[in-house]
Amino acid sequence: MAARATLRLAALMALAVTALSLGAMGLQYRLVETRLMAAQRALLAADLGGFGALYEQRRIIALRQAIDYRATAATGEEMLLLLDRQGRVLAGTRQGWPVGLTAKGDGFGVEPVETLEEGGTRWLVAARELPGGFPLLVARSLRPVDDTLAAMRRGMLGLVAAMLVAGGLVGWLAARSVMGRIGRVNDLADRVAEGALDARLPGPRSEDEFGLLETHVHAMLDRIQNLNRATHRLSDTIAHELRTPLNRMLQKLGRIEGQEELTADLKAEMRQAIRMFDSLLDISRAEADQGTGGGLVPVDLSAVCAEVWDLYEPLAEDKGLEAQATIAPGLRVLGDRNLMAQVLSNLLDNAIKYCSTGDRVSLTLEEAGDRHLMRVADTGPGLPEDIRGEAFERFVRAERDRGIKGHGLGLALVRAIAARHGARMTMPEGAGGFTLEIHWPRLQQSD
Amino acid sequence: MGMEERILIVEDDAETAAAVRAVVEGMGCSADHCDTLEAGVAAAIATRYKVIVLDRMLPGGDGVEAMARIRAGGSTALILILSALGRAANRVEGLEKGADDYLPKPFEADELRARLRALLRRGTMQVLDNDLLAFGDLEIRLKARTVHVKRTHVSVSPKEFELITYFARNAGQVVTRMQLLENVWNLHFDPGTNVVDVHVGRLRRKLEDAGSAAIQTARGEGYIFAPRVGAG
Repeated sequence: MAARATLRLAALMALAVTALSLGAMGLQYRLVETRLMAAQRALLAADLGGFGALYEQRRIIALRQAIDYRATAATGEEMLLLLDRQGRVLAGTRQGWPVGLTAKGDGFGVEPVETLEEGGTRWLVAARELPGGFPLLVARSLRPVDDTLAAMRRGMLGLVAAMLVAGGLVGWLAARSVMGRIGRVNDLADRVAEGALDARLPGPRSEDEFGLLETHVHAMLDRIQNLNRATHRLSDTIAHELRTPLNRMLQKLGRIEGQEELTADLKAEMRQAIRMFDSLLDISRAEADQGTGGGLVPVDLSAVCAEVWDLYEPLAEDKGLEAQATIAPGLRVLGDRNLMAQVLSNLLDNAIKYCSTGDRVSLTLEEAGDRHLMRVADTGPGLPEDIRGEAFERFVRAERDRGIKGHGLGLALVRAIAARHGARMTMPEGAGGFTLEIHWPRLQQSD
Repeated sequence: MGMEERILIVEDDAETAAAVRAVVEGMGCSADHCDTLEAGVAAAIATRYKVIVLDRMLPGGDGVEAMARIRAGGSTALILILSALGRAANRVEGLEKGADDYLPKPFEADELRARLRALLRRGTMQVLDNDLLAFGDLEIRLKARTVHVKRTHVSVSPKEFELITYFARNAGQVVTRMQLLENVWNLHFDPGTNVVDVHVGRLRRKLEDAGSAAIQTARGEGYIFAPRVGAG
């Protein structure tokens, strides 16, 4: 992921700085242009003033001589032309009057003045018609002005390009540095999300906003970890505080003599109660550990399926059920063997409990894309409509099943354990009976 | 148990300690009792005990964490954790950290007795260097994984073979359903249904059909493997 926000900010700053510089350079350009034009005007005024003085003394003759003289020593920076009444050239640097140019005024002042473009060069032109019908043209090349301005423009363009490149470079460097700092925090968040609640950033915090962010993230993680530890401690305490008195009861029960049947019943009830609150603790523990990879190791799911199936199959057969298992070998997941065995045990126990003679119970384990699909299906009565949506909640039992032994925690535990392993559960409908599919995440080769 | 074995009880609940002591003394062993972890560890290191019955949530700490110190102190005693932390995860944790057995509270006297017997027996049992376990006319061959009664082959499933081997190793002792589930199926939770009974029932019928009444239901919580040695 690129640091888009930082890059945007850097680009904005680079653009702003470039725009300001461009404005400043533009002003300077205008100033230079005005000054250079004024200088050319002054030169033109001086030329006109010189010719004017000669004209005062000896009229056209002096003017003609002066122009002839100047034309022979022409530098190309000036344009001079004097015609007679019929339009013939008397003297000058060129052979004819420029097309489209009309003489204005008859004095030797610098105004009126105009610009003329000819052969790629601009000229500052004073066109006059002297008394008696003698057209006079005096002009100064604007080439030095234009050359200077063009050089300035090139310079400005180069500078703008350089500033944009520099801005981009600074932006990229800033983004990289920000990304590096933020990236550390992002990596930490990823590690925590994968379950390493005890992950922390190594090294000292820097004394800036990033250091503050890291400090805050650490404080938050400490708190989450403490809450998680508290959950674990609480379930241990509950277990201890409840089992100790139950234990005393059981010891005393052992001393009762002569009422074997009653004490056996009481013992069975106690065992049931313990199973129930073990399930509750297992559910809350699995929920607290959900998403954390801690405690999970590579487990051969195929072997677990085979073992638990082997344990329950005779039970199904004795009840007259048709039992069938199809287990693909060697499918491995990251998990807790006992918890996974418990999931399967709960599901098979349910299936056998609710089915009657002639029903079918099946267990399938197969590869399905990037998951391992475990399916426990039966042709029994299925879930009644009234609890279909909430069968996986704690203590939910159907009205219909009041007569069947159970505490309504089996499926809740199945769901909690599946979630603990990052497994997905689906309940396909339509086939009749009860079918539950658990999609376990397969073990990656690198694990 | 011919001679008197010494068993150490580390337990802070007086009632439980008394119940454990009653079981121990009922087996003909002598019992010492400590009610803190520190005293328990010190006693375990100072005296040569056969078995230590160790609680977990004790004043002074967790018994499971103290096992390493007891071992480091040179004790060779077998350790049975007896704890209110009885969920499957707790049991697996305790066994993985080196406990020889793990019994959750509340426990029944019969269960504790069966577990202690198994541990005491393990302490004295000779390594089975031969391939044959023979009980009168019942013979188990470990390598070939076969069972014979009166020289007739009895066909058993792999699980049934593991079951009869476990019975044979604890011959003459009561073996509980919980022990079978833990040792034969390696499952550490109570499945609620007595699934084990079905398996034992099948094995028992196969043996009975072949003429051996080796497996009997014990009063209370389990089975006893008691082939009549020498009978024809």
